[in-house]
Amino acid sequence: MTEIGLTWPKNFNEVPKAAFTRKDIYAEEMKRIFFGQEWHPVAHESELPNPGDFKTFRLAGVPLLIARDREGVVRVFYNACSHRGNQLETAVMGNKTEFECPYHRWLFDAKGDLVGCPNHRDFLPGFDKSDYPLAQPRFDSFYGLIFVTLSAETETLTEFLGDSQNTLRELLGGDGRLKLLGYQKVRYDSNWKSYTDNDGYHAPLLHQAFKLLNWQGGKGRQFAATKHGHICFESALSVVSGPTVLKDDSLIAFKGQDPAVGSRIVSLFPTFVSTKHLDVINLRFATPIDEETVEVHYAYFAHQNDDEDMVLHRLRQSSNLLGPCGLISMEDASIFHRIHIGNHTPGNAIFQKGVHDQSKLDSEFLQNDESGNLPRWEYYRSVMGFERAEA
Amino acid sequence: MMQTDTTLESALDALLMADASALDNKDMMGWLANYSEEDEASYICRSAENSENALALGFMYDDCRSRLEDRVTFVNDIWVGTFQDYRTRHFVQRVAYQRVDASTISMRSNFSVFMTPTDSGITQVLAAGQYLDTIRLEKAGALKLLSRRAELDTSVLPRYLVYPI
Repeated sequence: MTEIGLTWPKNFNEVPKAAFTRKDIYAEEMKRIFFGQEWHPVAHESELPNPGDFKTFRLAGVPLLIARDREGVVRVFYNACSHRGNQLETAVMGNKTEFECPYHRWLFDAKGDLVGCPNHRDFLPGFDKSDYPLAQPRFDSFYGLIFVTLSAETETLTEFLGDSQNTLRELLGGDGRLKLLGYQKVRYDSNWKSYTDNDGYHAPLLHQAFKLLNWQGGKGRQFAATKHGHICFESALSVVSGPTVLKDDSLIAFKGQDPAVGSRIVSLFPTFVSTKHLDVINLRFATPIDEETVEVHYAYFAHQNDDEDMVLHRLRQSSNLLGPCGLISMEDASIFHRIHIGNHTPGNAIFQKGVHDQSKLDSEFLQNDESGNLPRWEYYRSVMGFERAEA
Repeated sequence: MMQTDTTLESALDALLMADASALDNKDMMGWLANYSEEDEASYICRSAENSENALALGFMYDDCRSRLEDRVTFVNDIWVGTFQDYRTRHFVQRVAYQRVDASTISMRSNFSVFMTPTDSGITQVLAAGQYLDTIRLEKAGALKLLSRRAELDTSVLPRYLVYPI
């Protein structure tokens, strides 16, 4: 690995702003993090519920094809023909049981097997179709959430998730039996770390809506899981009490079964943020585009047990509450941009709320503490090989 | 051959322009005034990608008059001072229309929206797509939107949205 010159501050609550903006650091992040020993969520199986359903996605530029075969088995492939590497499927989603490369008409089934290629008598002697299936990255799943890793050295998915598993399971409806409602996709003018550093954590002071809606909260638990510094939030539901400024307050109503699991956030290193808040179940598949840009696909879900009214309620709430135009989240999107602009100034970003001792890390936090991000930053520092300044 | 109703076409275009003008002027009350007072009045902003895959989720999903009024509250009261403001310029063009019944017309129009953030000053395309409208011919002869679906060819937005498209 290339050694990169960046001295990390001695205090655990400080992050050098240069880490967000330098091209050489971004290039090294690709090697050490995105092609390194991390698992990256790329889809939930409920996005492709039927035999033949598929989805394509680019993870740090790498094109992926996620397909369910006729027997219902979901697999992840590189979305490139095993012949000359041509992009195989161009649609974002759809239903096909065979994928044909238009360049030389190589045909693959949804198991990834090469089932046809014209003129193969002209190929190398001994050519055998079974030697040319679609290539696959390592993948695994957790309650239907499909993860990919681009390194052979990565630990198991169970080890990677560690103590975040129960929170994530609850966020996925308890059993992962979800039903896709649709997507909101957006590019932010923000380094991927500025996005993840500020998406999971919602500073309530930013949100005028909480005040105007008479919405109180902030009494939950936040903890860091595994050496990767995954961040988990668990809080009982805080519902609006008293009058609001809204004429249709179903937008902020809770119609679910159990208020105790009303609010969950799981933010997995490096880029994944997921949330269940009120009746919104939202998985955010994010990928860096360059050091100044991150693309986020907000996927929203109902649960398979929902009746028609509940699906409609989730649809209305999901569209309007938590995405890039949502009532209580549009300001977050603006912060991603503004903090990235601010990171082009010298010095360090400094965390304050919840920090008790600058010289060490905690692993348990209050819901509104910003210090919950610090274990992740320590992991990032160690993966990137940045030396911490001496005390 | 259907006879061209130039009076009706002028009125439809006037409604299109009134909406574009209200949005470009950030006049949310003016935007609301283009919609029918009926409870079912709706505005849905959604990617064509979602629609084509039978996914109903939108970027904005205001499926009743109360929600349209709440959209005005979001912009005028709740979000004030929290975002990087931007100018928009809506370019709209009627493509087709059809009388549904004596008081209802359906209309399809193309749109493209330019965006200029006030901090960067750099203009870019915010979204392109089509409006799928149902229009009510009201008693006084006024035309109002009963429903509008802004269906975006732009499935990946270049930034967050504050104002309707």
